[in-house]
Amino acid sequence: MRNRATTGLKKPKIRQSWSKWNLYNMQRFRMKPPHVRTHFQQKWDAKSVARNYHGEQVSEKQWARMFSPRIRSVVSMNARQLAEDDGSKMSAGRGAGLHQTEEEAFKQDEKPIPYAQMTFAPLERRLDTAVFRAMFASSARQARQFVIHGAVTVNGKQMKYPGYLLNPGDLFQVEPDRVMYATGAPKDRSDRRESRLAKKAEEEAKAREEAAAAEDKEQEPAEAQPEEEQPMDPRDTLKALLFQAKEILSTDKSTLPAKRKQQLRGFQKAIKRVLSRSESSTILTDSLEAQFSQLTLLLKAKRTEQQTDEKAEKAEKAEKAEKAEKAEKAEKAEEAEKAVEAKKGSEESDELKVPRPAESESKPSTSDKQTLRDNLSEAFLQASKNQEVDMTQLDDEELEVLKRALVQMRENPIDHSKPYATPWLPRDYMSAFATIPRYLEVNHNICAAVYLRHPVARPGWSEVPSPFSDHVGTMAFTWYLRRR
Amino acid sequence: MAPRIQNQVVSNTLLPYLSSSSTSTCLPRLSTSSSQALAYSPRSSCRSFSSSVAPQTRQRREMFQWLSGPGARFKNHVPGETNYLTARKTPDGKLLRTSRPFIDNQQYRSEPILSVDLQNEIYDRVVKHKKSVRAVSVELDVDMRRVAAVVRLMELQKKMTDEGKSLALPYGRAIHEMLEKTEYEHGVGASRSHENINDLPSHRLTHPQIFYPVSESRQFNRVDAGRVFSGAPALEHEEVARNAVDPYAAVTRVTHKPSAIEMVGKGDEEHQVLQPADTRIPHPHLVAKERDSLNHPEETYANRKVYNERLRAEEKAQEDRRLKAEERRAKRMLRVQPEDSRFEFRIQDVVVSRETTGKNGRGAAAPGRRYGVPANDRKKGEVKIPTRVVV
Repeated sequence: MRNRATTGLKKPKIRQSWSKWNLYNMQRFRMKPPHVRTHFQQKWDAKSVARNYHGEQVSEKQWARMFSPRIRSVVSMNARQLAEDDGSKMSAGRGAGLHQTEEEAFKQDEKPIPYAQMTFAPLERRLDTAVFRAMFASSARQARQFVIHGAVTVNGKQMKYPGYLLNPGDLFQVEPDRVMYATGAPKDRSDRRESRLAKKAEEEAKAREEAAAAEDKEQEPAEAQPEEEQPMDPRDTLKALLFQAKEILSTDKSTLPAKRKQQLRGFQKAIKRVLSRSESSTILTDSLEAQFSQLTLLLKAKRTEQQTDEKAEKAEKAEKAEKAEKAEKAEKAEEAEKAVEAKKGSEESDELKVPRPAESESKPSTSDKQTLRDNLSEAFLQASKNQEVDMTQLDDEELEVLKRALVQMRENPIDHSKPYATPWLPRDYMSAFATIPRYLEVNHNICAAVYLRHPVARPGWSEVPSPFSDHVGTMAFTWYLRRR
Repeated sequence: MAPRIQNQVVSNTLLPYLSSSSTSTCLPRLSTSSSQALAYSPRSSCRSFSSSVAPQTRQRREMFQWLSGPGARFKNHVPGETNYLTARKTPDGKLLRTSRPFIDNQQYRSEPILSVDLQNEIYDRVVKHKKSVRAVSVELDVDMRRVAAVVRLMELQKKMTDEGKSLALPYGRAIHEMLEKTEYEHGVGASRSHENINDLPSHRLTHPQIFYPVSESRQFNRVDAGRVFSGAPALEHEEVARNAVDPYAAVTRVTHKPSAIEMVGKGDEEHQVLQPADTRIPHPHLVAKERDSLNHPEETYANRKVYNERLRAEEKAQEDRRLKAEERRAKRMLRVQPEDSRFEFRIQDVVVSRETTGKNGRGAAAPGRRYGVPANDRKKGEVKIPTRVVV
């Protein structure tokens, strides 16, 4: 099917799409004033404008068959009121209920149910529309493509029909990678270049490996590998790592995305460099917990030696001795903690996989994070002022920062093989369209949603997301009643 | 819409030296910067030999002006706040955020979603503390269907993490930053009532307006109204008296055994008598609880005890119904699973008779094809794609 869902500027049409063109069209959209249009023209305008948004991919014939003049609605019942009155109060008097005062009568008048806004509710049952409504795709067309390309399952079974009508209780799921692609920022030129380079490097490495394997078979094993680069001072490494971690976790709005990306990349590299010093060859692909413990081990092993040296220095200064004691205490606590960690490593890793720590980290206003930030910044200030201040006073909070940065790196890594810009960022103008209707229950982490029930109208509110006024809804409804 | 490619640019690309208009386009990045359209420079111009910015239409210019001016704030979201078109600036320059994403639609609002904490709490209460879906729904003010869905989705998430599948965690976090949420705090509870859990669907039978005169002396209640709407005769006096003594018992008689609902009408017109709202809402026991607290406001302890008993009875009745239905289903179907076989054969008795095929031979109860009765499944207007996915 040809995609007619264009978002031009000359004859603006509102579409189910998150593009900036659509946003612009949405905010300047005006219907022609009704007093210059006949009733028929009003109905025609309304239905064409509404159909450009609702189920534009569905043919008119098909939609006309789907249309139903019976609209679902609910009324919220108050248990207290039901208990107070068995209904006889309502039927008392002359049949409209007995009211003591006019005010009471006015209060009972609830907002009208916006039936007209529910005209296109049957379309919300379609699988492609539901995928778009759950925010798994950036447009209804893209959602349709996901379905057709086999990226969507319903109740665990692949469903290739975008016109499949969901039943209440159906669980649909889209491949997370596709969703990340659809909702993520696109790659820019440098990203594309880097992914090309990465691909090339990978191929070259592969070819070299093959060649080496072929050589190895013929010849004896080669001599020892050339010495790697001189390892940095562990103290500096730790300092740098912590600094980078802090940079990454800062939610400063002023940091430019490109800069942020650089920071992330630098951190990833630093972590890799440190981890590559470990004996284990699989550490780079290991679980997060293993990586973290290895990292602390690598840094701490060096750190304890250093500690003894520094202790000797500090013996001269009485004031600094206290500090060293404190550091020792902290370290002991850390070591104890580490032992516990090692014991229940599996539990910990499970805990880490739950996005709770990440969730809490994304809240900028939590108090504990604020204090943490303050402590850290103080430590860094000290470090910048006084070269002698020892980074061995790595307390739990700072370790926590390092850990969190690692978690974030792991959850949102730089991966050039992905079709979207990495680290993942929401695409531009996405938030202006972000809404999840109540008839869906969505778990965004796994890109799955349950269609709970059919959309309903309730006093004052309708559940069908639609950019049009109720006048448009009414006119479109009357159009499809086929009494023109 | 892709950036528009200007004819001029294209021709320059194809014929860089021949085109008359390519005075300055042969050398890339040499042309004087154009004064127009600074807001947007199409990528196509970078590729071609021309670096002069393609002339824009008025519409495009206005669009990019808007996007870089008042529309700039929609580009990125502020975590924890909505970013909709309806947000307005107050005179003192503050931005008033709203929950309506559409300017013209006053009847749609973006309602809060469950926060991750609340989802975890629901899952814990149902799976770890073995509470019933009904109880959790009442405790946290979340619809029963939503509670069930959350548990299902969390199970799926657990399964996916165990299998080592990649999750869309940054995406999930971003969405939760963009939308309003119902938060949950341990020991405190949910930040607000997530939704009304006692929604009464409007019934088809109540749509027509009926003029029904009733004597003033009569106590005309919701049960009577339902009977009028469904065209059933008024209840016997004894029945009315019995219901008045214990209204909750009258409700449970129906909710625990829906097949006991009285039928009216004949043939195809036969339908159930419309039940009162007390019966048709998802949590009728809440009405009984309120009635207790109205009648005996002092006896809070006793009231709570009775309420807990009712809740337990409700759960037990539901479980009994489920087991019975399962038993019935098992009785109807014979399951055979041969050893060393991947398959399980499910054998069900079917009857093809006049009763099951119906008069026109198209009855759905009877399986198979009938001679002389072609199937409708290829006809125009018939649904030819799956209508349900059973697992």
